[in-house]
Amino acid sequence: MAEDLAGGVAGAAASVDPDGPDGVRMTWNAWPRSKVEASKCVIPVAASIAPIRASPSLLVLPYAPLRCKPPCAAVLNPFARVDFAAKIWICPLCFSRNHFPPHYAAISETNVPGELYPQCTTVEYAPPPIDAAAAAIPPPVFLFVLDTCLIEEELGFVKSAMRRAIGLLPDHALVGLVTFGTQVYLYELGFSDLSKIYVFRGTKEISKEQILDQLGLSAAGLRPGTAGASGYPKARLQANGLLPSGSVNRFLLPASDCEYALNALLDELQTDQWPVEAGNRALRCTGVALSVAAGLLGACIPGTGARIIALVGGPCTEGPGMIVSKDLSEPVRSHKDLDKDAASHFHKAVKFYDNLAKQLVNQGHVLDLFASALDQVGVAEMKVVVERTGGLVVLAESFGHSVFKDSFKRIFEDGEQSLGLSFNGTLEINCSKDIKIQGVIGPCTSLEKKGALCADTIIGQGNTTSWRMCGLDRSTCLTAFFDISPSERSSQPGSTNPQLYIQFLTNYQNPEGQMRLRVTTVTRRWVDGSANTEELVEGFDQETAAVVLARYISLKMEMEEEFDATRWLDRSLIRLCSRFGDYRKDDPASFTLHPNFSIFPQFMFNLRRSQFVQVFNNSPDETAYFRMLLNRESVTNSVVMIQPSLLSYSFNSPPAPALLDVASISADRILLLDTYFSVVIFHGMTIAQWRNMGYQNQPEHQAFAQLLQAPQDDAQMIIRDRFPVPRLVICDQHGSQARFLLAKLNPSATYNSAHEVAPGSDIIFTDDVSLQVFYEHLQRLAVQS
Amino acid sequence: MASSQPFPSGPPRPRPGFSPNPNPNPNPSAAADAIQNLQIGRPPPPSAVPGVAAAPPFTSPASRPGPPPAATSLSRPGHPPFASRPPPSSAPITSNGPPAFGLGAPRFPPPPPASQQMPPVSGPATIRAASPSAAPPQAQVARSFPGSPPSAHPPSSQPFMGPPPSSQPFMSPQLSSQPLMGPLSSRPFGGPPSSQPFGGPPSSRPFGGPPSSQPFGGPSSQPFGGLPASQPFSGLPASQPFSGLPASQPFSGPPASQPFSGPPASQPYTAPPMPFPGPPTSSSPFGTPSWQSQAQQGVPSMVSMQAPPRMFGMPPHTPGQTMASVPPVMGHSPLAGHQVSTPSKIDPNQIPRPVPSTSVVLFETRQGNQANIPPPATSDFIVKDNGNCSPRLMRCTMNQIPCTGDLLSTSSMPLALMVQPFALPHPSEEPIQVVDFGESGPLRCSRCKGYVNPFMRFVDQGRHFTCNLCGFTNETPRDYYCNLGPDGRRRDADERPELCRGTVEFVATKEYMVRDPMPAVFFFIIDVTMNAIQTGATAAACTAVSQALAELPEGPRTMVGVATFDSSIHFYNLKRASQQPLMLIVPDIQDVYTPLHTDLIVQLTECRQNLEQLLDSIPNMFENNRVTESAFGAAIKAGFLAMKPTGGKLLVFQSVLPSVGIGSLSSREAEGRTNISSGDKEAHKLLQPADKTLKTMAIEFAEYQVCVDIFLTTQTFVDIASISVVPRTTGGQVYYYYPFSAVSDTAKLYNDLRWNISRPQGFEAVMRVRCSQGLQVQEYSGNFCKRIPTDIDLPAIDCDKTIMVTFKHDDKFQEGSECGFQCALLYTTVYGQRRIRIINLSLPCTSMLSNLFRSADLDTQFACFLKQAANGVPTSPLSQVRDQITNLCINILHSYRKYCATVSSSGQLILPEALKLLPLYTLALVKSIGLRNDGRLDDRSYWISHVASLSISLAIPLVYPRMISIHDLASKEEDGSLLSATIPLSSEHINEDGIYLLENGEDGLIYVANMVNSDILQQLFGVSSADGIPTQLVLQQFDNDLSKKLNDVVNEIRRQRCSYLRLRLCRKGDPSGMFFFPYMVEDKAPGGLSYVEFLVHVHRQIQTKMA
Repeated sequence: MAEDLAGGVAGAAASVDPDGPDGVRMTWNAWPRSKVEASKCVIPVAASIAPIRASPSLLVLPYAPLRCKPPCAAVLNPFARVDFAAKIWICPLCFSRNHFPPHYAAISETNVPGELYPQCTTVEYAPPPIDAAAAAIPPPVFLFVLDTCLIEEELGFVKSAMRRAIGLLPDHALVGLVTFGTQVYLYELGFSDLSKIYVFRGTKEISKEQILDQLGLSAAGLRPGTAGASGYPKARLQANGLLPSGSVNRFLLPASDCEYALNALLDELQTDQWPVEAGNRALRCTGVALSVAAGLLGACIPGTGARIIALVGGPCTEGPGMIVSKDLSEPVRSHKDLDKDAASHFHKAVKFYDNLAKQLVNQGHVLDLFASALDQVGVAEMKVVVERTGGLVVLAESFGHSVFKDSFKRIFEDGEQSLGLSFNGTLEINCSKDIKIQGVIGPCTSLEKKGALCADTIIGQGNTTSWRMCGLDRSTCLTAFFDISPSERSSQPGSTNPQLYIQFLTNYQNPEGQMRLRVTTVTRRWVDGSANTEELVEGFDQETAAVVLARYISLKMEMEEEFDATRWLDRSLIRLCSRFGDYRKDDPASFTLHPNFSIFPQFMFNLRRSQFVQVFNNSPDETAYFRMLLNRESVTNSVVMIQPSLLSYSFNSPPAPALLDVASISADRILLLDTYFSVVIFHGMTIAQWRNMGYQNQPEHQAFAQLLQAPQDDAQMIIRDRFPVPRLVICDQHGSQARFLLAKLNPSATYNSAHEVAPGSDIIFTDDVSLQVFYEHLQRLAVQS
Repeated sequence: MASSQPFPSGPPRPRPGFSPNPNPNPNPSAAADAIQNLQIGRPPPPSAVPGVAAAPPFTSPASRPGPPPAATSLSRPGHPPFASRPPPSSAPITSNGPPAFGLGAPRFPPPPPASQQMPPVSGPATIRAASPSAAPPQAQVARSFPGSPPSAHPPSSQPFMGPPPSSQPFMSPQLSSQPLMGPLSSRPFGGPPSSQPFGGPPSSRPFGGPPSSQPFGGPSSQPFGGLPASQPFSGLPASQPFSGLPASQPFSGPPASQPFSGPPASQPYTAPPMPFPGPPTSSSPFGTPSWQSQAQQGVPSMVSMQAPPRMFGMPPHTPGQTMASVPPVMGHSPLAGHQVSTPSKIDPNQIPRPVPSTSVVLFETRQGNQANIPPPATSDFIVKDNGNCSPRLMRCTMNQIPCTGDLLSTSSMPLALMVQPFALPHPSEEPIQVVDFGESGPLRCSRCKGYVNPFMRFVDQGRHFTCNLCGFTNETPRDYYCNLGPDGRRRDADERPELCRGTVEFVATKEYMVRDPMPAVFFFIIDVTMNAIQTGATAAACTAVSQALAELPEGPRTMVGVATFDSSIHFYNLKRASQQPLMLIVPDIQDVYTPLHTDLIVQLTECRQNLEQLLDSIPNMFENNRVTESAFGAAIKAGFLAMKPTGGKLLVFQSVLPSVGIGSLSSREAEGRTNISSGDKEAHKLLQPADKTLKTMAIEFAEYQVCVDIFLTTQTFVDIASISVVPRTTGGQVYYYYPFSAVSDTAKLYNDLRWNISRPQGFEAVMRVRCSQGLQVQEYSGNFCKRIPTDIDLPAIDCDKTIMVTFKHDDKFQEGSECGFQCALLYTTVYGQRRIRIINLSLPCTSMLSNLFRSADLDTQFACFLKQAANGVPTSPLSQVRDQITNLCINILHSYRKYCATVSSSGQLILPEALKLLPLYTLALVKSIGLRNDGRLDDRSYWISHVASLSISLAIPLVYPRMISIHDLASKEEDGSLLSATIPLSSEHINEDGIYLLENGEDGLIYVANMVNSDILQQLFGVSSADGIPTQLVLQQFDNDLSKKLNDVVNEIRRQRCSYLRLRLCRKGDPSGMFFFPYMVEDKAPGGLSYVEFLVHVHRQIQTKMA
């Protein structure tokens, strides 16, 4: 417990794993006991959870967990009080007494099971399968959905990416292929005589039942409306039809069996042949294609992990899910259109994808979206499916770009770099009474399992204590929001436990296909009364708070019309500073902040300027993309999205973090900016000149070569670990690409800034306020009475 | 008895002058005795006249596209049929003309050799061949019958020869009375011998033309005169009589006299030569002997003798002459007496039956500015188009047009044209000429838009021309101007096909195109449901398509595509250069679409190999298909969508009831059975389409020029009533293989397909028929889509399709004027040229009812009845349809009896010569599959759809099939006339030791009785007992004469019918035998009368009406 706290508090230290073995970080590590106090804290009480984070110390128990009696059903954990003599354990969450079952008979103080080790607040159960059927590990399913409304070159990139992917697939993985353009083509890979393709029209919404029916996969084997008419007895039809589970194998084949066929198909795959009239976009029925893919997977045995991997190269212009008409004179919707409710297709498309999401979640399948186009493809609309199913999303400019190519490859790679793609996850949260769960932001779906623990107000996926994560991986991260609502009885001092407990149960199918249950139990301190501000301050995690706030505000921006995010942020920050700052009233100069809060205003400053809040610099697709990643990445990564990290390389000093300020630019430095989505290597003017003159190639300038190389190496390190692969930008000062850096820097020096600009440094052409100005205002406002 | 009277009365008619009325009176008296006489002209079977001469025609066989010969058979070439020449006999007939005596000169047409039957004369048989016109003869005849029939006239044989005789008769007009006899004499023919005689000489000569005359000349005269008359009657009664005689005389009337007089009788003949051929043939086939086709040459000649009816040429002469019509009458007085007994009194062998002819007739469509009466549609003839179109292309139910609507309704006959715009020509005929008017396009009347034709009259030195259709006077365009000759015709008329030919084709200009002419697109859709796979239907279809590819038109404009379907639709991308074709499945069968924008339909030259490989592998690919549901409607819709940009032919192979997707159907047959208790009243509703879905689809198909042909290779109910709507609306047709057998039907499937795609045809056609003011088109009927009242749209039109056009009067015609009909068909050839085919027919108008009867065209009228009956079946209870048809027959005969027949005896059933087979055909129709109560729904629906586009020449056999014996083929002459010896469709003619082949143009039933010589079985089937013959019969050729002959016969039939017979084995004593007997239409059946009974019934009804 203490370790947990330590971890939380010391989060900023790079050397320490900020998430700890539990993978849980909270905005407040000391919780106010009352609702009023909680609201005064400004920053919501929330936890960022990485449910299946890889941890070397993870204990895997080869048996089934012991659970508390319903309705609690919490799993035995180190915080339980155990009466070894009576063979009884008391659940820390509900205080129920449970008898150990017979096979725990040997338990004693010196012989405790793994789940009771104090350090094992997180354990994983791998119970043996109940029977042979359960033991059979269902192979993972990969259903590729390829856009063919592409130019030849792009299609070529898609093909080569696909070929590489096919080569990397595990032999037993089942593979299917769908291509689409004006129509949807579903390939029956198991048909050996010739290439057999099912064709669906792109204009028509088609239900799962219809798809199964049309593919001959429906369980009944009967088509609606014909059973009676045809006069054939039902039984006969069933006898004739293949078993649904068997016949889906016509479309999904083990990679080892269909590799040849797939490669042959790819060789012959052409761009969509339907004519595109002048002045029109190609007809692209992404929506129907995804419906078909989802429908096909619907015939898989429930519980089989399956991913739809969609490679989309342009906007959906036909059928359900269409985001823009085929007429080129109609531009794809912008944020402005969305704001004004002028995006005529948007809501319909979102509704369609929402239904698709429900279907996929029911089936337990995942949609991964790889969008590569200069134009938007409808990520904003599809976001709901990707996010609800826990899918991956990558947005790139071209299928030939490394952002796509390398990311796509990562999915299939094994080993250390593996994403650890898992399936069929469910997350349950159990907590002490007095705590209610408002909801979760992140790649999951509410299972609508209402219980006493559900709060009245909902944030994100709420109204439940259990969530489905069709797809999850090692880096998947969820944010759970809690509400504090003490009951009458618990408010009586003395009678209550000073600790609160929260247990996260994550059931999932690991990359090897086995079902696992990971149990993480955390405890935090209650802080009673309003007097103990100190304790609250001590428990504040400003990084987590910044990230949670960013996620929260993104959600609000999407959900609430006319929401003024900047103002809301400003006001929250001011309230926070007023509450926790150290100052004399109305004296801005006296204002100081506790170290635990010290960089929070800077986070807010950058968040205000970030793509999450300033959406108008981006397309709705980009915004959706950024937000999805923000919602699913770890706190550490999310912080980088909010406030990029900047490293400076020079002859004079070792690589060091630099201020995210225009002042960090210098002619003889190399800067490495990591914004998460892109990594920028910025050569100062002098460095660039030297490099252009080729000094690095001269033996006597080894050092220069090393200096040039260092940021490259570091950039590669970042890139290697990250998914999606960030865009690498290498630029020189005053070059056009330098904007990638300049946009992120604090404009302490602008074209109209008063003070002198240091030689070799730079200015930014902006009217934005600088951090310094921001601070000044903040101080002034915070101290106002 | 009464009969005698008839004669007398008969004559009156003839008298031109007289109006028909007289007759009535006389009759009454007779009534009592009522006999029914049928007069039938039996056409003498020309029996095997080997038409040697004919040869030439034959040679050209090639020209015909060739019906689908059996795969095995090479037969194509064999046009043997042609070979047979018309028996000379015909010639004789012609000559008669002259007799114009007042008497109806009965012509005898030479009865052609009625040969065979005659003698039989069963004593009683009163029937007589009335034919000959003259009633008189009959009288005698009647008597004769009893008597000595045949015997007497042994000589008959000579007579035949004598067609010549006939000539004489004419000669001496006065004799008229005698002549009549003469005609009778024909009977003599009947005489046993007759057949041979005929055969011999005559035949050859006829052709020869001239020669014929000689023959006649000589002998002829004599024959007629004398003997014949009396004797004949006696003898032969029926058969011959019919043939001819009768009618003709009347004509002869006026003109006749001259001709006659003209010693020249001979000459006339000569002229006739051509005609001869004609006549004979004609006669034989139908029974009507006369045919006169003869067109007589000379104008005068007209008078043909002919058998009454046909008048050919009868000139419109004065009324007086006209009379001839008297037809045959047979009076059975006896019957009359005891009606009940009636039947017994009729000699079944004497009643009118069709007699096939084997000779070829040369038919000139006009002579002396008069339209000639065409030979029967079922006969073999060569047309020379000199103003009117070939009757193959267009013929009218009557060859004279009634001046008023009242006259038409009095006759009770229908006025309709049968248009078969691509009918196969005889190989010896001149091809239709193509005329290119250059950029200005064909010359048309500026008011009615009628196209220039030989009947447009150029006036005012050629500066103007008057439209024969609307009467408007147009200015002649300057570059079309030409002076008129002294005869009032343009001097260049003979050089310009459009001014001298009944049929021409104009090159269409841009004005006639809404787009470039479409390519020839063939899209094949094949059923691969489990059922189709397991019955071998899929394999059969694939093989057929694969083989048929070779028959598609060559060239870059030929495009093909393939799809298969079960409960979804599978397209194939044929264009891919690499690897195999790509299968594209369209699973949404409620709302179909095409899976590719291009490459589903590609040039044949580009994909032939891929396609063949694909067709080869389809049966294997679906070998384990377990899908039983069929999305037929969706499949054709999908095929249509693929073809929408171009149009073309959609050929669908289907095996089971469409059960899913758009246009799905339910098993109504089962419903029909379970609801049977609710009565028959609604039963016909099952013959209507189940709903409008397919109709709506079909209309859309037609709009985009997609024609659908459906090949039903099924073993179950498939609801043809609903399905057939599609082909019927799009100009296609249904092929039906039930119960499908991969063993025996594969070859037929291939041949049907092959013929379907290789026969002469056109695409994206529009047709309109115009007619002279006075008439207007009432209705079109056939396989087409009609979107505007005046035109019909034909996505495809081919040589087998016939369109019926009915007319009604909206004004009167002047006696002596002509009524013009013009069919204009705008279409695209398979090679992509846009053409306008113009078919003209101009017929004289008459105000004489007798002329109408004389010029009635039995085949055409019957085809008309057949189609009307078929149209009625789905909308009325069967019994009502049968009654309507029977009443139609009765009304016509009644009208004739009442207004035209002179016979006074009411005891006689008097049949107009031209229509003497009407009762038989009517009876057969009532008993046909479509009108029987016991038929399967699908069989009946198929029959209905089949009839809708059926040509005249196939309509007759469909209803009254042809039956020949095959166990004795070896003993028949080897002169190509194997087919001529038909057997009446009566079980009395089936011997216990015989094997018979019965064919109706669709099916061929081989009936094996139970005492057949095993040696014959061995020779024909390679087995020694009837039980050993496989039920799924495949005709093989064994190395023996009999087997070869049988194969020859079957191949010849196939060639004639342009259809590969579906051979079916019927064994006596086996259930399969039961298929056979319903075709014995002359038998008494549970649901129907025997032929004799039917005649009695008809007679009685007429009597009732008369009273």
